[in-house]
Amino acid sequence: MEVLSPYKEATEVILEAGGEPLKLCYQCGLCTGTCPWNMVRSFLVRRIMHEAQLGAVDFGSEDVWTCVTCKACVDRCPRGVEIIDVMRALRRAVASLGIGVVPDALRISAKNIAGVGNPLGEPPERRNDWAKDLKVKDFAKGTEVLYFPCCVPSYDPGVKNVARSVAAIFDRLKIDYGLIGTEAKCCGEAIRKAGYEETFQSLAQNNIDLFTSNGVKTVVVSSPHCYHTFKAEYPELGGEFEVLHIAQYLASLIDKGKLKLSKELNKKVVYSDPCYLGRHNHIYDEPREILKAIPGLELLEFPDARENGLCCGGGGGRIWMDTPKGERFSDIRVEQAAEMGADIIAVACPYCVLNYTDSVLSMGKAETMQVKDIAELVAEAM
Amino acid sequence: MSSGENGRKSILVIGGGIAGIQASLDLANMGFKVYLVEKSPSIGGRMAQLDKTFPTNDCAMCILAPKMIEANSHPNIELLTYSEVEKVSGEKGKFKVRVKKKASFVDWEKCTGCGLCVEGCPVIIGNEFDQEIGKRKAIYMYFPQAVPKKCVIDKREERLCKAACIDACPVHTNVPGYIKLIAEGQYQEAYKLIRETNPLPAVVGRVCYAPCEDVCNRGEIDEPLCVRDLKRVPSDQWNIEQLELPAITKTDKRVAVIGSGPAGLAAANDLALKGHDVTIFEALPEPGGMLRVGIPEYRLPNDILRQEIGYIQKLGVDIKTGVRVGKDVTLDKLRKDYDAVFVGVGAHGGMRLGVEGEDIPGVMEGIAFLRAASLGEKVSMGKRVAVIGGGNTAIDCACTARRLGAEEVTIVYRRTRSEMPADAAEVEAAEKEGIELEFLTAPSRFLAKNKQLAGMECVRMELGEPDASGRPRPVPVKGSEFTMPVDTVIAALGQVPETDFLKDLGVSLSRRGTIEIDPATGATSVEGVFAGGDAVSGPAYVIDAIAGGKKAARSINQYLTGQPVEAEAPWKEPEEFTQEEKADRKKRFPAASRVKMREEPAKKRVQDFREVALGYSGEEGREEASRCLAGQIEGCIECRECERRCEPRAIVYTMKDKTIDLNVGAIIVASGLGLYDISSLTEYGYGRIKNVITAMEFERLTAASGPTMGELRRASDGRIPENIAFIQCVGSRDLRNKAYCSSVCCMHATKEAMLAFEHHPGTRSTIFYMDMRAVGKRFQEYIARAKKDYNVTYIRARPGRIEVNPENDNPIIWYEETTTGEVKSFEAEMVVLAQAMVPQIDEVLAKALGIELDEEGFVKTPDKLLQPLDTTRPGIFACGYVHSPRDIPDSVTQASGAAGRAAEEMSSSRSGRDSQGGK
Repeated sequence: MEVLSPYKEATEVILEAGGEPLKLCYQCGLCTGTCPWNMVRSFLVRRIMHEAQLGAVDFGSEDVWTCVTCKACVDRCPRGVEIIDVMRALRRAVASLGIGVVPDALRISAKNIAGVGNPLGEPPERRNDWAKDLKVKDFAKGTEVLYFPCCVPSYDPGVKNVARSVAAIFDRLKIDYGLIGTEAKCCGEAIRKAGYEETFQSLAQNNIDLFTSNGVKTVVVSSPHCYHTFKAEYPELGGEFEVLHIAQYLASLIDKGKLKLSKELNKKVVYSDPCYLGRHNHIYDEPREILKAIPGLELLEFPDARENGLCCGGGGGRIWMDTPKGERFSDIRVEQAAEMGADIIAVACPYCVLNYTDSVLSMGKAETMQVKDIAELVAEAM
Repeated sequence: MSSGENGRKSILVIGGGIAGIQASLDLANMGFKVYLVEKSPSIGGRMAQLDKTFPTNDCAMCILAPKMIEANSHPNIELLTYSEVEKVSGEKGKFKVRVKKKASFVDWEKCTGCGLCVEGCPVIIGNEFDQEIGKRKAIYMYFPQAVPKKCVIDKREERLCKAACIDACPVHTNVPGYIKLIAEGQYQEAYKLIRETNPLPAVVGRVCYAPCEDVCNRGEIDEPLCVRDLKRVPSDQWNIEQLELPAITKTDKRVAVIGSGPAGLAAANDLALKGHDVTIFEALPEPGGMLRVGIPEYRLPNDILRQEIGYIQKLGVDIKTGVRVGKDVTLDKLRKDYDAVFVGVGAHGGMRLGVEGEDIPGVMEGIAFLRAASLGEKVSMGKRVAVIGGGNTAIDCACTARRLGAEEVTIVYRRTRSEMPADAAEVEAAEKEGIELEFLTAPSRFLAKNKQLAGMECVRMELGEPDASGRPRPVPVKGSEFTMPVDTVIAALGQVPETDFLKDLGVSLSRRGTIEIDPATGATSVEGVFAGGDAVSGPAYVIDAIAGGKKAARSINQYLTGQPVEAEAPWKEPEEFTQEEKADRKKRFPAASRVKMREEPAKKRVQDFREVALGYSGEEGREEASRCLAGQIEGCIECRECERRCEPRAIVYTMKDKTIDLNVGAIIVASGLGLYDISSLTEYGYGRIKNVITAMEFERLTAASGPTMGELRRASDGRIPENIAFIQCVGSRDLRNKAYCSSVCCMHATKEAMLAFEHHPGTRSTIFYMDMRAVGKRFQEYIARAKKDYNVTYIRARPGRIEVNPENDNPIIWYEETTTGEVKSFEAEMVVLAQAMVPQIDEVLAKALGIELDEEGFVKTPDKLLQPLDTTRPGIFACGYVHSPRDIPDSVTQASGAAGRAAEEMSSSRSGRDSQGGK
């Protein structure tokens, strides 16, 4: 008899990750139909689930690395299959057990994260350089809020302004906040989805120890990915903090009357829901409330907003991998935004900032369209 | 044994769907007394909503209706529709059941189900029987074949104002009703509703003094509604030439109406609608009376008047113009030639000033001046004009003179502004047109030069003691004479009726020349002669004249049909809010000022006789109409239109819910199915994409009794779709929604695809399924037939999402064809979702019954094999969809089974044995 899968150990890992619901999958194909990839190329999620059920996965396939973990399929699966967990298990089998090939770009980022604690491969001691001239204090015991900006705004010159805007807002409102020392490392959310479980465990442990020893009670983050892992994954490893996304934090300040936005911004702004803020954590209203509080701003909505929002393409480790032109979700979004006559695409995630900015530039729309994080818009409107 | 005694011979069936009806009929035929409780106003249930049934494609109603009628007429069945079970106590064999009979506000003993009330109701609500695609009224019949065939009023809360407008209106127009219709954009209906009580809506909407506005309760919290302005909206927004003619049964009676003013027209209209042959005699060359020759064209355009008179003529009224009764034809002859006479000659006689020089050319009488101007006769108009008087006629004269070219126009009035009888807004409008006002001044002599008027000597007045009218008497100031250089004077002092021709017949007249009538009936002192309008009251308002004409018409009809001529029941006085009500309304409704009607600017309008008031746009009209407090509530606004129309007088607004206690031995629960709320399944766009509908909506669209009379049309553009997609298991077999299979969707989708083809041969249907569950006799053959003969394709896929083609509103379905692994998109013209179905029983009813439900909400069965139709409470049985997902034949079979179990229970409890388990 022919052996379908020579990797018994790997298939067991996958079956375990899929759990009972994977057995319930009745192969209806809703996941494939709902998956945004199929707008640009074929990606048969249903077939991968079927292969996973049978333990007959092709580990060498590009498909192992395709899923952006946007959760559109999981939210709709009539059988409750945790499709993202299955995808993660496939990747783990490749990355940790050494069957199949990890794409180059991802391998380099993983190496950077494991080595220096950030995917860009920048020196750890320069993590807080973005705030050098701002005189933000270091977090010490008793400081009310820890601001954790994510590696991208910390190091990427193009996204730095997101973190600097948060600092400016906090300074203006005299919020007692600080930055944690340069021993902080990447939150590990995306590298875990990319299959590097051990790396994630070590990053998480590092951060949990660091926060705990510093007496962090409340951490405000700019990235929904940090938010998700701090909120949903760190507690299992012993990290219990109050975690707030900047959108939640600012919305509550507006609600309490502490944050007043007075400068007019006479622009048409369309908000794109980040998957990890929206579908993964159900935060849809706060970013919109913030945008509506800016005088003069006209808020537009994509036809597929909120629960049906299209991913920027950067989740599940895809932010580090190359996506050929013609297959980029962010291009579709920018095109949609242009058709609606939007001046600004507002986001609330550093990955979204990266992807949309790339698309705006590569599509030659930089003259007419800007990409802004809501924190940047708030800082400008104060 | 009397029915219900100790409940030993009585059984309660809950739910009037096919299962409940079947169980009731079985038990009734066995000799039991059955109470059939149904919460909606009619029995019939879900099956009544369906167009056809599978697998025979029989008409659902054709099968169901005979059973519904049998249940209604069966001597052993008592229908308790519009009722709900509140509590069940006791035990099997002797249950005590409390049933709430909801107030229908219609006395069903009297209601004949004629539907006249429904036509008149101004409140339009989504029709639940049509899945809210169609509309119904606040008073309605549940569906055309409803059993019992009775109407109910959907009255949810008390009206928020006192509708004082209706009470204040001389003809008691249903103001809240037509305003509600305007708010809904239903202009044709609004016009018809106004015309019920007022044959000249567009005219009155321009010239009424609007006593309704004075009493409008909204005025107590901010500003009254612009009722008059709103009244012209329907005729501004809808072409009244399209108003259809009613069916009129002719009588052989003839009525002569003298005068074609508002009184005469109103009387003629009402009498013509009663079938009498009416001829109007009009002295002037054109009909309309004061509306034509007294009110200037810039306030009431002739075209508007002509249109509304035209409709009265279309009703069969013959108008003979240029015939002056008393000169061209005698009153006596009319009395002989006609069965009754109505006199509505108005008050067209002018009054003299009694001042020296009044006959000098250049001095004119006001009403004659307006008449001449209106009829286009040549009027010599000077440059400097004085108008004497302070009433509306004086204003009309002044503004008309202005339009005829007078450069300086001055109104000379002997009292002050505050005593002017003219409408303050009219005075203000005249001033905007450059009319001067000279108060406390009266003419004392007219001066001539070359036999032409050259000046007017005036005297100053001062105000003295109040006179008979209650106003201060103007007293001349000695030595204050001065001269105004004028070349034209128009004396608008007032009008009197010209009624001399009535004296020949001995009609009794007052000293002032007005006709004396019985105020209750409009009858004069001469039999068969009635009168109304200004000829009776002296100069008054249009709506009062209409009221006078209508009153007389009512009496004339009684007179002609041999009924006693009697007064109408007196109307109640307009009511104000109590302090509490006022405070409450103020809190609930933010102040909103009236929407002002646009006007032609003064500079432009004085150039000719164009209409000054420009009317509301549809949007402005709807905005103003939505200020009406009466329309703020859901459901019935108690405008009482139905009460007016209901011939058997069945409407009872004061009806209350009623409690009925029943004694029964057994209970059968057959409350049927509900439809699962699929709004959380956003990927299919239901509610967002117009051409994505549910299967039940599809059923209503194909049903002949549905909102489109059986035309399957798309919501976006009304087109008939030729390419329809069906998506199965929407909410069913879905762990996040309903885990179970709804059991009937594979078959009903196939049936619906066939129906679409039968409606429009060639229609292509595509059914997206996961497994075809054709579990039943001949079901597989049915599906094979669909493929072979009805152009139906089945694709195995659960689509992932639906987008819209913005060009044609077509839904685009994205799916993976799971048999080939191809990802495709499919553009359909309509998508039909197989919405999951749920048992229609909630915790409240289950608790009232004392029965348990399973985790999916179906009635729990203690033992699926041995007691499949029992519930967890002995003596209570269940059947149909509330028991478990199933189709109609299965429900009927189960119903007979449950009836058998109940009957068995009754006989065993009578003999004292326990029916449970072994027998």
